[in-house]
Amino acid sequence: MLPSDLLILRSRHGSIVPQRLALDADTLALAGDLIATFARAVGQRRSVLDETLVALEGEDTAFKVKRGLAHLLAGDDFSTFETVAPLDPPALRRLVFELSATGVPSRGRRDGLLQSAADALALTQPNGKLSTPAEIADGLFADLPRNAVLTAFTPPTPTALIHRYNLAQAQGVFYRAFDLVITAHRNTPGHYKQLFRYVKLFGLLSGIEGDAEHGFTLRLDGPASLFAPSTRYGLALAKLLPALLQVPKWTLRASLKPPRRERDFASARVREDAALEEENAAPTFELSAGCGLVSHYAPPREFDSILEEAFAARWAQLDSPWQLEREVDLVPIPGSAIIPDFRLAHPDGRSVLLEIVGFWRPEYLRKKFASIRRAGRADILLAVSARLNLEAAGVDASDFGARIVWFKGKLDPQAVLAAAEAITRR
Amino acid sequence: MPRLPTLSYDRGTLLLHPPPRGSKAWVEFVEWDDRVEKFRLPAGGYRALVSALRAESVTFDDQARAYGRLPLRFANPLTPYPHQTEALAAWQSAGRRGVVVLPTGAGKTFLAQLALAAAARTTLVVVPTLDLLQQWYGELRAAFPGAAVGLLGGGSREFEAPILVSTYASAAAEAERLGNRFGLLVFDEVHHLPTDFARVIAEYSIAPYRLGLTATLARDDGRERMLAALVGPTVFSKTPAELAGLALSPFDEIRLRVPLTPGERARYRELVARRDEFLERHRIRLGSLDGWRRFVRASGRSAAGRAAMLAHRAARVLAFGTEGKLAVLEELLARHAGRRTLIFTDDTAAVYRIAAEFLLPAITHETPVKERHETLALFRSGAYPVLVSSRVLNEGVDVPEASVAIVLSGTGAQREYVQRLGRILRRQEGKRAILYEVIAGETSEEGVAARRRRSEGRELRPSVGEESTSSLFDD
Repeated sequence: MLPSDLLILRSRHGSIVPQRLALDADTLALAGDLIATFARAVGQRRSVLDETLVALEGEDTAFKVKRGLAHLLAGDDFSTFETVAPLDPPALRRLVFELSATGVPSRGRRDGLLQSAADALALTQPNGKLSTPAEIADGLFADLPRNAVLTAFTPPTPTALIHRYNLAQAQGVFYRAFDLVITAHRNTPGHYKQLFRYVKLFGLLSGIEGDAEHGFTLRLDGPASLFAPSTRYGLALAKLLPALLQVPKWTLRASLKPPRRERDFASARVREDAALEEENAAPTFELSAGCGLVSHYAPPREFDSILEEAFAARWAQLDSPWQLEREVDLVPIPGSAIIPDFRLAHPDGRSVLLEIVGFWRPEYLRKKFASIRRAGRADILLAVSARLNLEAAGVDASDFGARIVWFKGKLDPQAVLAAAEAITRR
Repeated sequence: MPRLPTLSYDRGTLLLHPPPRGSKAWVEFVEWDDRVEKFRLPAGGYRALVSALRAESVTFDDQARAYGRLPLRFANPLTPYPHQTEALAAWQSAGRRGVVVLPTGAGKTFLAQLALAAAARTTLVVVPTLDLLQQWYGELRAAFPGAAVGLLGGGSREFEAPILVSTYASAAAEAERLGNRFGLLVFDEVHHLPTDFARVIAEYSIAPYRLGLTATLARDDGRERMLAALVGPTVFSKTPAELAGLALSPFDEIRLRVPLTPGERARYRELVARRDEFLERHRIRLGSLDGWRRFVRASGRSAAGRAAMLAHRAARVLAFGTEGKLAVLEELLARHAGRRTLIFTDDTAAVYRIAAEFLLPAITHETPVKERHETLALFRSGAYPVLVSSRVLNEGVDVPEASVAIVLSGTGAQREYVQRLGRILRRQEGKRAILYEVIAGETSEEGVAARRRRSEGRELRPSVGEESTSSLFDD
């Protein structure tokens, strides 16, 4: 992501539009130049690289773009910076400065002092490794960020770098966001699991409304948002965006804190009140699937397990009016949501959710059954492996009655079908 | 039997679940959170809620509170001044909540130590700068021997410490994590608290006891009013006039003008001309805040503006880092060999240049706090006779005593900075303390120094070589 001062955001009719670089020849060439600059800088200090980058920025007013691209390249995903010194720099400083304190400071004593330090260091390192006075001088402040050495660089392609940049500009909008409303439209597979994994990881809370037929509205914010709007969760919302890009059909709308304006009382007085009000209203940011932004998060796996995959394959061979849909439903439970693996939909309007419970640790099992019970839904079928010891996990299977389909080895679609018919019989 | 109502801490808020039965004392403090289907309240409401529940003898399980009593051995040998005793008493009788306003140098740190000893709870001390971080760290360790004092910020992350000193930036970033661990919050320079970023330190905390310290409550946005809710009301206030009598030792100030080399001078003139040409064309006058702002804005808009800004920066670097200044520095260090000497520069790059060329210990904002602490200790003990630093002297920082100070550059806003520097100087072996201000000849710095003197209402005497103006600090 990018720091605020490298964001290039424009305001248009109360909504915010982040900068988007086109994948044209000029931009690709610029990205290529920067990538090559980093590749050439391997083995050099960061300050040397920075000087090259400043020279590359030149007197161009587009320096922000170059600086932004360079900022991303210097990040952990591509670059490794390390401290290179003959001794831990604080210890080295202590050694050198104590030697220096024995006389009157002057530049004329420098070479002699560095040699003394090298000699002293040789005594403490019996493995015979000798440091030169130059290495001592270089190592003295080697732990400053600008003296770190670029020891490895994994270059992205110019295209990947520009995608990353465009994504980072959009993520930057969320730094000022105090809530985020996502509308997930009906589609299959939903790929909601990945999204919710990140919602939990970043400590966000959600309010969910809607159903599988019409789509869902998710409002995301944090614990303290209940009392007052807070931009505190903006960074977490920004990190969520790459996960959201992996969901197929959605729109989002974020409410943003207005930028702090310079006070300009003289001109404010002559303005119309209405205009002032509009200017002070919270700007918004809108985005939708098909926005062209590209996620760099690992793509979600097609299926969570071989069990699910095999079941879906067998269902495809079945001749049944029930259609199998994947991960399309969100069942809200307090503080989170359950995302059942499958949904079975009948053309007559009946539907059933299916969760496959394969191999899990007892603690996880208990949590899973507890949250399904809390959801209070009668239309969730549980396919449970007969190998699981529910009792040992403290789960009472009779709570779920006919909604449990036991299976050994592979899950039979016919058994699921029968159970679906049974619990939806009218 | 119904489950016991439990109060738990959730990232800067509190959850009360299940709600207590047979009492309505809690209702006014909480809000229903539909997202988790529980009652929630801001962490800052902890003290009020717990008092209300106790008043009605409601039994509940307090899982929120992770702070505790902290037996402290208070070893500070100083006797409090009357104003410190009065301030402490005022804070205590206000329920150990509130803000104390005392001028710089009136012993706010010592007052905070008294409050810590009185409250005897795990404590979070929040300070605005890394310099203050190290100062508080050192003083708390000395005042409470045996107590584990930890740091958050400046490269340290010691969350477990029962007395934790943190910067506002780090404490705000970790507010959710810190919120239930401390019974007492101390805010140094508390006027830094009421910002959108920092206020969460107070809002996300359940700490019942809070102390804010400052020399001035005024902010230009009027947000100091928020402090009553975040920390408590102003419980004690004294102006500098009311506490007059803080003596300063006299010292000599000597200004040295260092000419640029002919090459540097030519380059400097060229850069300044390039900048001024742009400024004139756009009718921008530097020197006012607005002019500077317009210049910054213009530099982002056009190639010419950007070139002018780059020229301006290059000229400044030239003026601040001249070869001649280093030669003068060398001469001064030789002249005062053996005396405890502090060297100050405006920018970090110059500090490291001097440190690397003279092999002298340095302290900048980049120095890890623990190393800074050690380095200052070595300077105080005399093991390091000379120390180089960038502007260590910000708000109310204690700098070690020295008898010679050498300031290698200056800007117009620094009058107060030099004054504070003067306060650290002490006589040594019967010699008067000396403060050198080394400026480059024929640069903007000269104008700044002149303006500074005029604004002080002093006559500017022509300066050739050395100029001595003693007893400047009669405020």
